[in-house]
Amino acid sequence: MKKKVVAVLLVGAMAGTMLAGCGGDSKAADAGDDTKKEDTADTSDDSDEGSAEGKVTLNVTTTFAGTESNVDKYQETIENWQKETGNKINDSSASADEAMKARVITDFETGAEPDVMFYFNGNDSNPFVEADKVVSIDEIREKYPDYASNMNDDLIPASPVDGVKYAVPFYGYWEGMYVNKKVCEDAGVEIPGPDTTWEQFMETCQKIKDAGYTPIAASLIKEPHYWFEYSIFNHDTPATHVAVPEKVDDKVGKAWAEGIADIKDVYEKGFFTENTNTCEADEAFQGFLQDKAAFYVDGSWKMGGIRDNAENIDNFTVTFVPGQNERKTTDIISGLSSGWYISKKAWDDPEKQKAAVDLVEYFINTETVSDFAGTATTSLKDGAQIDESKLNSLEKDALTMLKSVTATSGACQDLCTEDQRAPIFTNMPQIVEGQMEINDAIQQVIDAMEE
Amino acid sequence: MKKRKFSPGMCVVYLILIFWALTTIYPILWVILNSFKDKKKIIANSFALPIGDLFSMDNYKTAFDRLNIFTAYKNSIIVSCCVALVVILLAGMASYALVRYNLKTKKLLNTLVVAAMMFPVFATIIPVFRMEFSWGIVNTDKVSLSLISLILPQIAGNLAFAMVVLTGYIRSLPIELEESAYLEGCNPMQIFFKIVVPLTKPSFATVGIFSFLWSYNDLFSQTFFLRFKDQWAITRLLMEISSREGTDYGLMAAVVTLIIVPLLVVYVCLQKYIIKGMTAGAVKG
Amino acid sequence: MNNTSNIYKNKKPAIFFLLPAFLFLILYLYYPFIQNIFNSFMKIKGLATPAKGFNDPVYKNYTRLFTDPNMRIALKNTLIMIIVTIVGQVGIAIIIALLVDNIKRGAKFFRIVYFFPIVISATALGLLFNLIFLYDKGMINQLLEFLGMTNLTDWKDEAHAIMTMMIPVTWQYVGFYFIILLTGLNNISDELYESASIDGATRFQRVRFISIPLLHNVICTCCVLAVTGALKVFDLPWMMFPNGMPYGKTWLTGTYMYYYAFVASDADYSSTIAIVIVVLGIILSKVVNVIFKEKDY
Repeated sequence: MKKKVVAVLLVGAMAGTMLAGCGGDSKAADAGDDTKKEDTADTSDDSDEGSAEGKVTLNVTTTFAGTESNVDKYQETIENWQKETGNKINDSSASADEAMKARVITDFETGAEPDVMFYFNGNDSNPFVEADKVVSIDEIREKYPDYASNMNDDLIPASPVDGVKYAVPFYGYWEGMYVNKKVCEDAGVEIPGPDTTWEQFMETCQKIKDAGYTPIAASLIKEPHYWFEYSIFNHDTPATHVAVPEKVDDKVGKAWAEGIADIKDVYEKGFFTENTNTCEADEAFQGFLQDKAAFYVDGSWKMGGIRDNAENIDNFTVTFVPGQNERKTTDIISGLSSGWYISKKAWDDPEKQKAAVDLVEYFINTETVSDFAGTATTSLKDGAQIDESKLNSLEKDALTMLKSVTATSGACQDLCTEDQRAPIFTNMPQIVEGQMEINDAIQQVIDAMEE
Repeated sequence: MKKRKFSPGMCVVYLILIFWALTTIYPILWVILNSFKDKKKIIANSFALPIGDLFSMDNYKTAFDRLNIFTAYKNSIIVSCCVALVVILLAGMASYALVRYNLKTKKLLNTLVVAAMMFPVFATIIPVFRMEFSWGIVNTDKVSLSLISLILPQIAGNLAFAMVVLTGYIRSLPIELEESAYLEGCNPMQIFFKIVVPLTKPSFATVGIFSFLWSYNDLFSQTFFLRFKDQWAITRLLMEISSREGTDYGLMAAVVTLIIVPLLVVYVCLQKYIIKGMTAGAVKG
Repeated sequence: MNNTSNIYKNKKPAIFFLLPAFLFLILYLYYPFIQNIFNSFMKIKGLATPAKGFNDPVYKNYTRLFTDPNMRIALKNTLIMIIVTIVGQVGIAIIIALLVDNIKRGAKFFRIVYFFPIVISATALGLLFNLIFLYDKGMINQLLEFLGMTNLTDWKDEAHAIMTMMIPVTWQYVGFYFIILLTGLNNISDELYESASIDGATRFQRVRFISIPLLHNVICTCCVLAVTGALKVFDLPWMMFPNGMPYGKTWLTGTYMYYYAFVASDADYSSTIAIVIVVLGIILSKVVNVIFKEKDY
């Protein structure tokens, strides 16, 4: 009920080598910078009290809540900002579940919206963009020319409503295939790599199955998202992937049908978790962690989940989802699904405007973004700066993988809202069981989108 | 009553009761035991005892470090006590009138009450939010106003249930007591407080317990009305345990344990009123 | 009516008693729900998003109800749920309440432990039962394995799903009806029992001829609560069987409404289902009242 796995968004192509630009010497300087900044923060705190500048209180809503690893960093950052500026933050962050989303929309409807918000930039943002309640980056730059100047504008996702850019991205995600090394070893198969083809992958899965293990841990009822995305990606190209079918038999429609047929095929071969049609996502994931399954496709956010829950992180690695047809194995899905918004209400309030801009800039400077992002995707011009010595083996593997990426694409499922894609996503078990025709399900999605 | 020996019949009775008790105790025990386990090992060993390697206090440490538990307890208790008290009073008065007065609109009112019990929160919450926003009591950084903005809809939400239950109890009261009080010169107000309330004390305690419980566990409304950290109620914290990284089962078990402790305290305190409401003296009347 | 005493001839004070409660209900429930009725005729996507005009035709959602196969499944399952709640929840609760009322030692203990299931939130209970019915290493499957079963049973597959869903819901609310019934039993004067004892009534006779008749109204209340509760329950079933899984076979009216409010973003259809639930609730609670009136003591 709670987590909707793939955050909603729309992204253009992203430079795969973005993360490669981390040099060894810049980090030492960064670390030094950080401590210095805190020191000055403490001293400036006292002197600030006497300053004549009016202190303001900002209402802030973000999705930094719950047990995600960046919550602590977020708390620390807003503490520091409050100390440095003397301003106050009323923080109403919450885990991004249905209740929270309904609350955010209601807030904008009633005029109770926050001043600064970190929220999804895809279809979830449509209601308040349509109502013209947030300020675009261009408008902010007219007055503050340096706003988000460290970002590569080409990578900033635009609103699905009007193509205007409102939210400054923070960090995003990539999707890949996590591997349990021990299972592969016991089954006597090689770990798939950048050259592995789909056919080879299927053979590998068969061997793993013959050895008595589950080849692929997945819950098709709860999280068909990743398999949906990559299976379809396997039937088109990075250039054409981000599209939705207009007809069942157009090019996109065919790619979708063939992709979903692949999932059905994998299911019929018995490669998924035995009870994939009825199990919880966590249940499938546990099977993977406990050396019962070899592969698990998920987003970069699962890095933290594996780190926190695995007995031995060195037993796990991450690699590309094997490709076929025109998609190279090294083409990946990645995107920037959320960003920092400033509401029109705060922008039109002369007291709050500067503070709101200041707060967003405090978060989106290159060091802070790098610190939050880790190995995740960013839209920084120079790429994130990562201190490799602090990474665990899985994160290092991820970095290695990302360095050999040949092309990236956003997720096509993010072009539809959750309700529009429900005919396929909710019915995935019926589809793989043959109780529902693939083309019927796609037709229902097309109908829902036309409505 | 005279003392009797343990008959075979009594044994069967106790066997049945103990069997049911086991099914109700076990889950709570399970939650509490799991709250002391290393979070990495919970799913694989959820039915084992937390001893040796499995044992860990980390979940509680995380709970106390991350979450502002004591403020949340205070807020929860203020909100739920207010809700329970007002519900008891208003529902008691209304049920009394609905049972005793032979109003023309009685049937309609009873139907309306049953209907009100069926309204789902998410069908009513948005108009309520708009209304309260126009009064200026939501989305403020004042804790007291935010708590009130939560208390009011929760009172309404529990009233209907309370009225359905209380009318059932009050209907069973013998009317003779009220008549004799009337002959002694009491007006309906006095009769309600001096005769009806004392006689149905257990019923009021029951209704109070459930109103408290539902107000306390009502996560959905809390998300809407309590937004800033210093306003959070305890159940709101439970929501903070899952993320895209996966559910932290250990933290969850610890938080659930922390959440149910005050509920059990309230229940144990109030349940002694459930035992006997009707004193021998009152019945003589 | 037979028992309108002189005290209650003057009906003016009734207003004073009724007004505060109904003011609350009107402001916080009826007024919002009337908006909900309007919403069922409009085109609304997500909860809280503004309406995009009327549906075409206006009554579209209502005709949709009759052609929607999932709605039929939901109604069928809910009907089963109603029967299970009345027989299971209220039935078990009556038995254990009468038993607890008739014992001396340990009554307090049972009163406390039977309440436990209600204090744990649905989120936590859902998790617990998911682990109990877990396919691999779940409590029940471990137990069966221990007893010599070699094949694991998937308790959430088509054959078992309805049962796996009903058991936790039933179990959770027995304690609720237990407390309500026990309260009713405690409202019965000890003197009645004592005089019956003096007349030589056995324990069983006292239960049969004093406890049960005097509980009549309370049992009726419990049945109304059980019926309405079954119609709107969604939290625990949703935690265990989201999206009507498996294969859309486990929808309940409550979970189906929740699905359209939050997953499928079709707030107007969700509002329509809410209205169906309310109407069914009113009708069925009338039926319960009629059944119980016939045997007025």
